[in-house]
Amino acid sequence: MNVLQEITVPQESVNDQSLIVLELFFKDGEKVSKGALIAELETSKTTISVEAEADGYIQYFCKVGDDLLVNALIARITDEMPDIKIISAEQKKTVVNGFNTNKPKVQESIFSKEAIRLMASASIHQDVFAGLDFVSKADVEAFISGGAKTTEKLAKKIVTAIPLPDDLSKVILQKIPSFKKKEIEYLQSVQSAGLVSVINTMVNTDGVIDYLNQHLRYFKNSLLPVILAECAKLLKKHNSFNAYFNGENIAYYKSIHIGFAVDMEKGLKVLKISNTNEKSIQEIEEEVFQRSNEYLDDKIKTETLTDITFTVTDLSSEGVSSFTPLINMKNSAILGVSAIDEKLNRCILSLAFDHRVTEGKQAAIFLSELKERIESYRSIGIDNALSKVKLSAITCYKCYKKLTEDLSDTGFAKCITPSGNEAYICQSCFKGF
Amino acid sequence: MVISNINHRIIKEALTIRKVEEKFLELFSQGKLNGTVHTCVGQELSAVAFAGQLKSKDFIFSNHRCHGHYISFTHDVKGLLAELLGKKSGTSGGVGSSQHLCKGNFFSNGIQGGIIPVAAGYALANKLEGNDAIGIVFIGDGTLGEGTLYETMNIISKWNIPLLIVCENNFYAQSTPQNVNLAGDILKRPEAFGIKTFKGDTWNAGQLMSDAKAAIDFVRTNQKPAFFLVETYRLNAHSKGDDDRSPEEVEEYINKDFLNTFKQESPSYYDTYIESINTEIDRYLDEIQNDTDLSLSEYYQKEKEVSRNEWTVLEPINKRQVELINTFFREQMVLNDKIIFIGEDILSPYGGAFKVSRELSFLKPDRVFSTPISESAIMGISNGLALNGFKPFAEIMFGDFVTLAFDQIVNHASKFYHIFNHQVKCPVVLRTPMGGRRGYGPTHSQTLDKFLIGIDNIKTVAINTLLDPQLIYHAATAEEHPVIILENKVDYGKKILAHKARNYTYEKNNDLFPLVRIRPIHSTPDLTIVTYGGMADILNAILEEIFVETDRKSELIILSQISPLNPSLIVESVKTTGCLVVIEEGSAPGGIGSEVIASVLEHLTESVRVRRIAAMPVPIPSVKSLENLVLPERERIIQELKDLFT
Repeated sequence: MNVLQEITVPQESVNDQSLIVLELFFKDGEKVSKGALIAELETSKTTISVEAEADGYIQYFCKVGDDLLVNALIARITDEMPDIKIISAEQKKTVVNGFNTNKPKVQESIFSKEAIRLMASASIHQDVFAGLDFVSKADVEAFISGGAKTTEKLAKKIVTAIPLPDDLSKVILQKIPSFKKKEIEYLQSVQSAGLVSVINTMVNTDGVIDYLNQHLRYFKNSLLPVILAECAKLLKKHNSFNAYFNGENIAYYKSIHIGFAVDMEKGLKVLKISNTNEKSIQEIEEEVFQRSNEYLDDKIKTETLTDITFTVTDLSSEGVSSFTPLINMKNSAILGVSAIDEKLNRCILSLAFDHRVTEGKQAAIFLSELKERIESYRSIGIDNALSKVKLSAITCYKCYKKLTEDLSDTGFAKCITPSGNEAYICQSCFKGF
Repeated sequence: MVISNINHRIIKEALTIRKVEEKFLELFSQGKLNGTVHTCVGQELSAVAFAGQLKSKDFIFSNHRCHGHYISFTHDVKGLLAELLGKKSGTSGGVGSSQHLCKGNFFSNGIQGGIIPVAAGYALANKLEGNDAIGIVFIGDGTLGEGTLYETMNIISKWNIPLLIVCENNFYAQSTPQNVNLAGDILKRPEAFGIKTFKGDTWNAGQLMSDAKAAIDFVRTNQKPAFFLVETYRLNAHSKGDDDRSPEEVEEYINKDFLNTFKQESPSYYDTYIESINTEIDRYLDEIQNDTDLSLSEYYQKEKEVSRNEWTVLEPINKRQVELINTFFREQMVLNDKIIFIGEDILSPYGGAFKVSRELSFLKPDRVFSTPISESAIMGISNGLALNGFKPFAEIMFGDFVTLAFDQIVNHASKFYHIFNHQVKCPVVLRTPMGGRRGYGPTHSQTLDKFLIGIDNIKTVAINTLLDPQLIYHAATAEEHPVIILENKVDYGKKILAHKARNYTYEKNNDLFPLVRIRPIHSTPDLTIVTYGGMADILNAILEEIFVETDRKSELIILSQISPLNPSLIVESVKTTGCLVVIEEGSAPGGIGSEVIASVLEHLTESVRVRRIAAMPVPIPSVKSLENLVLPERERIIQELKDLFT
């Protein structure tokens, strides 16, 4: 019996160390022909089909629902009918998965009362112990004395959440899709250390939005493109927010690739705007638009999802007033954008940062500079004393063009009319045709 | 001439018995016999008439006064001499001596009455095999005071068991004259049970020989029991130096004695026979005098039982424990004709107090025996069945009643293998439910396990709700020696491993009676809790809470085999945790916890914190609130554990 093809789990993206078997189209020992669809796998972002590359007999080494590691054997095509019996279910189990399916995984940690008391007095968050089965007073004490080292050790224990056998009379189990697992893994990485802090600032949006609405093509009432652009500039200066903690050292990124979070029913994803600091607001806007379309069309390229150095998550369209964003893997900070309060003309920005990499003072400076930069957009071309109503009342006294209709990006000039009155004049009328 | 119609072979046999016993008395006075002897001088003709007229396939159970029966049935004078001289070449290797003889189908035991149900079980096995063999059990008139006789007479009559009870009435129970202790009439006793009776005496030898033959034939032909009362007189003391009878009375019987009469009437024959018998005895003594004693290693070797450190993950079974036990019997009784299910109230449709035997009597009517309320007989008959090739599972309806069967467990099942020098095995299984929490009160809620451990050659195991009970039953079926299986009445209705505590791994090891270990997935435990039986379910349910309350990560070890204990895996755990708590449903003094802790500490040099948590040492009250407080329950367990660490 000759093996014609060994089908293994492909590396579809660097994000995926494992894929879930969605469907197997044949039974063990069935004849397959070249080009036939033999399996469907789910990656963190899409589903992929696996085809036979030879005519022969198929034997699977996995079952539907298995979580297969990259390079694990999915199936084998041979030129003769394989002796199916030699592969026992047990052996199949060991082939797949990489996880010992017999060994149950930790559900949420169980804390003793003494541990809880000590954690409360020492202000330790329970997430610090994620991945531990039981947390006793001694564990908390060890954490306090061992500090970051212990934290790192704990962090290493974290395993991708695998659903556990539960009391099925009380709950209905639903398998976590691959993308969700990935999400958990990403977010656990930094948050589990428990040294994440958040500071907020309020940005006065009065005038800023009007200005941006005039100048952006795709995005209306959105601060996102300007925030991406301004953060990129600031990250050059405040590089501790463009870095990550690797367990012992701080790794500073040489480039600035800001990612923006999207979640439109395809799972939470962070899409990259590469070399963000080198792009204009319009270019950034264009790119955000393009990447979002790719996301919706399931056409994200691998490089879009990788090497993101800082993240902006914009929940303004959801109407939130403020929130605590979660820092992604290999990042030290994330900026959360809440909804713009239209009555008070303001918006809250929240910067979550990893205390192991930077500290509150730095974060406060970063945020306050960001606030200034965003607010500066209302002073470009218009008088900051003018209200929104007045703005539309400003008219060139010669051609009756309204300021809001002007596209020159220069504004009107204040002047004294020949009759001696104060008025406004547009560039065209002032310079003459 | 009284003895003209008697065959001289019989006279020689009776004389041999007498001369051998007289030799024993001589050896005893020379200090060459260890222990004592009970002679039957004066009663020999009973032995010759009954034991001597059986077929070799038949069997005999005898008592403390058994030399005559032994010689008549086996003709093994040499083996008997060697036995009493304590030689390895003796019939029981010198272990049993005078009262505990075994050769082929001959057995004797020194406990009054206990052999009667064993003989009944042995006879029942013959009947089930349909091999036409019958048996005799010899009792003395003193044994008429033992209750187990009446339990057995009731059953052998009801079940038509081919057993002949021969009661040798020598009018004295040890030194007490019969009129002091015996009420009523002897023969009316068996008659009241509907058992055919016979009567004879050792002074009318010819008549006794033919009547004995008639009784034996009656039992064999009709496959029914019979009772033969033989009046006789022992010319010597009961044992040694315990004779207060008047010399006149004894003198009267000496003159009346059959062999003495023969000596008077045929002195030349008598002298010839005596000479040849004495020569033979002396020759045998000569031959065996240099025989060695049994060595300790030949008698007993400590079994090197190592608990296996190989583990299999436990899976839940969506079936109630009682269903699984019942399924075991349904399947195995159909496959294995040797399995007998015996106990009270077990016939279907009722199917036993806890439904373990549901429908078994429909499936295998000839292997399911529903008994009267006679625990001693249930266990004794089971012992006899086991000795004769069957695999009986005796059910004692409530564990509390096991005390009524205790003589059969301790003095019979436990001992046969060793006292008969490994010639027989008694693979009996006793099952019984223990435990409270059902409000049954002081005599139906006990956990008497502590009385059932440490019994020689008996394995005591307890099932629990984490492990498939069928594993235990299969292993017990394969055992060659007695097994006691402790069940728990509250557990019967529970499903196997219905609950798994969060963040623990559940494993069993690969022992025949597997040990269950529940330990934290990652953390190193710092408390070893050992339990078994019904407490396992309770402990499993509160494992998480124990951690939350005590701050101790516990490893729970659930024993199946509680006796003999094999502490190796517990020792290993305690070496890590430094703390051992044993939780049992019985009371603590002299209990399982004491035994576990002692056997673990024997293997440790480091100091360890230990604690027993158990029922309070009072009868278990019926009233629910009080019952809960007396038995170890959730709150008290947690409190006692907390106390241990503060």
